Amino acid sequence: MSLFYNSFRNYLATADGRGLGNLLSPTNSDHNSFAFSTNHSQIRSQVQNELYGISSFRNGITDKGKNGWIDAVVAFWEVVYELERGDTGRRMGEDGDLGYWGRAYAKQSVYTTVIARGFTSHGWPNWLLPVVYTACRNLRQFAISADEEDKREGKDASKLEDCARHLNKMFTLCLADRAPMEESRKWGTYYIVNLLFKTYFKLNAITLCKNVIRALSATTTEMPPLDAFPKSHIVTFKYYVGVIHFLEEDYVTSETHLTAALQLCRRDCPTNQEHILTYLIPAHLMTTHQLPTSTLFQNYPRLKHLFGPLCRCIKSGNLGAFDAALEANEDEYVRRRIYLTLERARDIALRNLFRRVFLLGEKKTRVPVEEFRRAMGFAVAGKEGGTRKECEPEEVECLLAGMIYKGLMKGYISREKGMVVLSNKEAFPGTGV
Amino acid sequence: MAAPPPWRSGAASNGYTSVEARRSFAAPRTVGSSTTTTTAAATSPTGGGAAKTTFPDPLKQYVARTFENIAEADKKDVEIELKRIITDAFNEKVVWSINWDEMPLPQVILQKRRNSQGQQVTNSDKSPPLKSFGKFSISDTKKRKSAGDDTTITNKYTERSDKKARQQSPYTGFSDKLSQRDKEKRATRFAKELRAVTPPIERNINSTTHMDIDVAQPLVGRCMTLEKRYLRLTSAPDPDNVRPLHVLEKTLELLKKKWREEQNYAYICDQFKSLRQDLTVQHIKTEFTVSVYEIHARIALEKGDLGEYNQCQSQLANLYAEGFTGQEEEFKAYRILYLLHTCNRADMNELLAILTPTDKQHPNIQHSLQVRSALAAGNYHKFFRLYLDAPSMGGYLMDSFAGRERIAALACICRAYRPDIDIRFLTEELGFESDKECVEFLCDHGAEELIQQKVLDNGTTSIRLNTQKASPIFEQAKQNAFKKVDIKGQL
Repeated sequence: MSLFYNSFRNYLATADGRGLGNLLSPTNSDHNSFAFSTNHSQIRSQVQNELYGISSFRNGITDKGKNGWIDAVVAFWEVVYELERGDTGRRMGEDGDLGYWGRAYAKQSVYTTVIARGFTSHGWPNWLLPVVYTACRNLRQFAISADEEDKREGKDASKLEDCARHLNKMFTLCLADRAPMEESRKWGTYYIVNLLFKTYFKLNAITLCKNVIRALSATTTEMPPLDAFPKSHIVTFKYYVGVIHFLEEDYVTSETHLTAALQLCRRDCPTNQEHILTYLIPAHLMTTHQLPTSTLFQNYPRLKHLFGPLCRCIKSGNLGAFDAALEANEDEYVRRRIYLTLERARDIALRNLFRRVFLLGEKKTRVPVEEFRRAMGFAVAGKEGGTRKECEPEEVECLLAGMIYKGLMKGYISREKGMVVLSNKEAFPGTGV
Repeated sequence: MAAPPPWRSGAASNGYTSVEARRSFAAPRTVGSSTTTTTAAATSPTGGGAAKTTFPDPLKQYVARTFENIAEADKKDVEIELKRIITDAFNEKVVWSINWDEMPLPQVILQKRRNSQGQQVTNSDKSPPLKSFGKFSISDTKKRKSAGDDTTITNKYTERSDKKARQQSPYTGFSDKLSQRDKEKRATRFAKELRAVTPPIERNINSTTHMDIDVAQPLVGRCMTLEKRYLRLTSAPDPDNVRPLHVLEKTLELLKKKWREEQNYAYICDQFKSLRQDLTVQHIKTEFTVSVYEIHARIALEKGDLGEYNQCQSQLANLYAEGFTGQEEEFKAYRILYLLHTCNRADMNELLAILTPTDKQHPNIQHSLQVRSALAAGNYHKFFRLYLDAPSMGGYLMDSFAGRERIAALACICRAYRPDIDIRFLTEELGFESDKECVEFLCDHGAEELIQQKVLDNGTTSIRLNTQKASPIFEQAKQNAFKKVDIKGQL
């Protein structure tokens, strides 16, 4: 029964924030005996007894801080008890109509608030930040479970939105700390921001991420430089910032952030690397028109599956197969929010097709529109496709004009002569032709 | 004090947002009004009865109107109220400046005050069991929100603020009266508007049948007129001014007919808004509701009123999500086009994510998706073919961004074609109805100087645009056109 308190005192005495965070996470440890060691009327006095003397540890825990801990441990016990008890001994209608996870979420959100208060009113030192991390992480997890539960029962699922509000409060709590840097809660900022990003993405409220970024950049003067933070915080942060810019079609900025994330990412974390590359590959394709190599794909079979077919079609300029590949993976692409970007890679496939026409014509600078039209007819039908599709000459002209306008081709169209007049050198910039 | 009219107790159902001014000082309302009546009663024998005071003519008419149509039982109360109004007016020296023609009659004011008190009674402890049950559940949720906090503290807080408010009441009395007059003024303005369209209906006839209305039940109107002007509700809806479903159904038919015959958008839009309001107030959510929103949305589209369209659209999205059937595919198709108009990539991605395979088979949705991919590929040729061939009201929606896309296409064409381009070609490619329209469009964007007539090698003449020189013009115009999109009440 006192096992929990022993470890608790131990972590507190050795200023082991991470250990304490793990201990105060209902998902990380077995808290069954702790949960059933007491009851609602006893818990407070019990905790008061067990925590006697912790303020003498001199790890920045004062008498005031101790009071915060009593509240926190009581609140934590409520969470654990709720989780362990399940539905046993529950009267109908108690706690309204909350489900199992809904109740767990309610308790955890109380606990999270108490933890926050520990920092604001009880002067907890910043080595306790890991406690905040686990509190927030579990809060988010419970919120997601509670929402799933509610959705199954056809109820409004709004716990995760509520969780986002909690996280936002925590974010300000960290960011707005005015203590000197070595004691500051600012060191927790990026961890919370990452959780907040994750939550907003899940809620499909990505625009809200912008507010967070704005708040961050408004206080950069007092912030430690980004590379002073733990790498794990930076990788995730860079990844999300990269994706946010990606979704705003700012591929250049996106690429720098994603590249930084990839370079910092642990080598033994292929899943995270895959996540980063899912956006980095299309972003790179947009900025430089470069396709990933097969060596890259060898290391990431899932990415090969995702992008492989599309890349082959882009390379060969096979428009029909490109469209088919895009359609075949449409759901997956849309889910990852890369569909609208990948769709634009058709331009590059088209450029490659026109380039082949140019090369087949032995680089003659005057190419009849008709030749491009015929090439498109073949390309749209695809390799396997039986009947060649006729394209209207105006449409081909329109696409050619688009190529020239976007700088993928150099030259001009002379409509009266039905000719495309290509530049003498670098007719297809960046392709060595 | 007479009991509030029975339907009022039900008025607190949540079909509207009650905008009651000065809620924070609300506590003294009962106290305040009773003191004003007593002072009025006290001053009237000396001030009001004196022969030397002269009344302005409009006031005399006002008094006459007051007693014109009055029940014997109400007479006493009305008299007191009238005296109060007049003495107040004298005390504040506004008796000559007040527009007595606009002033609400004493019985109206009394009625209103009773209503507001009626609402307070429902909030107090004397309320019938059903309501008190509701009240308990409210305080329960409050408790849950501030979980962990000491509830006694919050109780103390409210008590203190109550006391504060009561203490203030004697001092705020004057400003209260003023605002009371303002409120009445506004009320008359609304009342007049309403009277203009709905003939007054005897209140007491139906009221007995609605004796047993309770909070849980939405209000049912009993206004029988088909047409009604739209007014934004600021208080509990009056059943006399709300049309029940069977009347609304006739209203819709009438409006459809009128729209076909008269095409008066200002009138139709107003009528539809009041129709929608009556539906909302009565919590009517049926297929009929769907069709009202759909028809209004289509009419708004026809007139290019994207703001109104978007309001309907968002309501429709909710209604479809709740399982009411209508032309869901048609409106999904519009939504795609609307998102193209607003250049909203994020929402477009979400919308694509929820389109089902069956949706994608629908001709309207297919059309919209093709429009989308044509725009994404910069394929203006295909875009304007689709523009001219849009099903249902899609073309009207595309009108809103066709101009912008024309500019974008011209920027592209001017860069790619040398040395010039036939106007005929532009007319065809950019979906203009005639060369004249095309030239006008070019001139509107400052390319007037660059249009010339030219004799070609084969002897034919054609009107041509100098592309090289026009290129920077349209490039600039394109930048401006895409800089800001008016999103009008975005979802």
